[in-house]
Amino acid sequence: MSERIIKYTEALKEATEQMMEVDSSIVVLGLGVSYKNGADGTTAGLKVKYPERIFDVPVSEAGVTSMAVGAAINGLHPVVHHGRVEFALLAADAMFTQAAKWNYMFGGSNPVPIVIRINVGRQWGNGPQHTQALYSLFGNVPGLKVVIPSSPYMAKGLLVSALKEQSPVIILEPRWLFNLKQHVPLEVFSVELHRAHVINSGKDITVISYGDGLQAAREALELVGDHVSVELIDLVSINPIDYQTIITSVIKTGAVLTVDTTNESFNVGSEIIGKIVQEASVTLTRKPMSLSCPNVPCPTSTSLTESYYPTRVDIANSILKAFDKPLLDTNLTFEELHMAPAKTI
Amino acid sequence: MKTHLLGAYQRMLAIRVAEEEIAKYYLENKVMSFVHFYVGQEAVAVGVCDALDKEDRVMGNHRSHGHYLAKGGDLKRMVSELLGRENGLAKGKGGSMHMIDKSVGFVGSTPILGSVVPLANGSAFEQKYNHKNNITVAFCGDGAFEEGVVYETLNLAALFNLPFLLVIENNLYSVNSKLKDRRSEKHDVEKIVTGFGVKYVKADGNDYEDVYTKASTIVADMKSGKGPAVLECITYRHMAHSAPLFDDAQGYREEDVLEKRLEQDSLKKLKNKLSKEGINEVEFVEMEKEARARAIEAIHHAAISPYPPKEDLYKNLYV
Repeated sequence: MSERIIKYTEALKEATEQMMEVDSSIVVLGLGVSYKNGADGTTAGLKVKYPERIFDVPVSEAGVTSMAVGAAINGLHPVVHHGRVEFALLAADAMFTQAAKWNYMFGGSNPVPIVIRINVGRQWGNGPQHTQALYSLFGNVPGLKVVIPSSPYMAKGLLVSALKEQSPVIILEPRWLFNLKQHVPLEVFSVELHRAHVINSGKDITVISYGDGLQAAREALELVGDHVSVELIDLVSINPIDYQTIITSVIKTGAVLTVDTTNESFNVGSEIIGKIVQEASVTLTRKPMSLSCPNVPCPTSTSLTESYYPTRVDIANSILKAFDKPLLDTNLTFEELHMAPAKTI
Repeated sequence: MKTHLLGAYQRMLAIRVAEEEIAKYYLENKVMSFVHFYVGQEAVAVGVCDALDKEDRVMGNHRSHGHYLAKGGDLKRMVSELLGRENGLAKGKGGSMHMIDKSVGFVGSTPILGSVVPLANGSAFEQKYNHKNNITVAFCGDGAFEEGVVYETLNLAALFNLPFLLVIENNLYSVNSKLKDRRSEKHDVEKIVTGFGVKYVKADGNDYEDVYTKASTIVADMKSGKGPAVLECITYRHMAHSAPLFDDAQGYREEDVLEKRLEQDSLKKLKNKLSKEGINEVEFVEMEKEARARAIEAIHHAAISPYPPKEDLYKNLYV
């Protein structure tokens, strides 16, 4: 029997559609979500199926997101879509100060069942104000659950979980992964929101990443081959972080490499390494390593962005170097450097 | 009407006297809980909330003791919250700026200026989506009306025809900043509001009957599907922006000097009216005595109530 292969964006649409079928409190709000191929295809066709539950909205990110939070605290389960994280920042009060604090500041029993889907990160030619990832901002606010789906399977399973959750969930969706394809079950299934996944077992080094960084790390495994035994962890959630899975792995390997696709300072990797080195049960046999983007905005010209994001070769060479193995001298093609992968994983 | 007005007077008096006693307690004790007093503006909260059903919802701001009590809130649980006690409205985690009690339809207050306006609009969105014949009211000040999200909300409320009433309590100051320092001479709230397709009504916020009558009409219209409205109430904030004090000595007040405020005072106005209708001074003294006794009892009750246990620090982050 042939496997059912679908794209990342199709997986998000499928999760939304299937959950809307069983939960009438779910509504979707966002710019263009009612279009035929709305929100990069993630809401395609939903307006036809649910004309009263899909809301195209004015260009008012703060007003719309806060309105959705207000609807959530009164029992609806809205999905708000922001096409770029820079626009979502206009709704910072709604996310960080209202939704995140609501249950805590009112002493519990005050759920905020809302899902805020935000498109983040790299895309060719989009420049400094259209490509930020800003993961650490979302990791810095207690009360939010923040996940980054790294594959179509994770995208569907995490969105289903988010739509069953009573706390506010932010889903940061790296647009670099939107054309990635994978076998995804047709039936509804959940992936736990706050659990990191060991996606490759190994004994020499723990590589920790998430989102599009994880995709590059997955590809790097093939380059490293049998030279080093790599344990690859998909972090899945950056808020809260599943340190138990990380520490268990690092106790075994004694070495760690983190891969971020965001600016170097205050990134997710630094946070994790900081925690690991303070953990009494861990003895590192090698200095912890991290890869990330430089501390400058992401420019537009491809001649500048080709060295901006850590590639599979960068990741493989960091690992090989740490273990004194011969380094790779591979040049990536223009397409590999700048075009989002459309492969099946 | 006389019975109704007498009830309204007692509800306003309860708020006034409770805050007077709380202010006194704050000054005499080291209460570490930020506070903004509502003294002077009682006719707005009571006038609007008297026009609502229990199932209608209210959301407030940093200055919401009055809104909460007017919606039928529990004075003891409110004072306990101010004093950071476990039996407070938010188990001590919120304080004065975070009133909540869903059992009386008070679904929260938040102090970031303007923030409650879109939240309340979302409550109205839910009411419309679920075909409830109820409305949501947000109280905000003249300062909050300068926040951009308020204009976004007016557009959204009009676009979706939501049962949303924004009550602007224009007390002339944002902290100590005068309207003329914050708005051009041509600034026109009515034009702004009606420009979005939202109904605008202005009321004398120091006059209970004016507020109540206008709010009642708006609420009835809204329940028959007529869409959102703004009720701007011009009123006076007798005390400082955020301290248990009168701050006339600061010298920033021009238009609303103490004599004028006292002359226009909402409680005084209603009292005069009731006197003419036959309530005598002894009855007024008795009403105040009773209200004060209840306030003192609530403060005492809070003061002897336990603080939340230390482990509560880590509770309620997620549902």
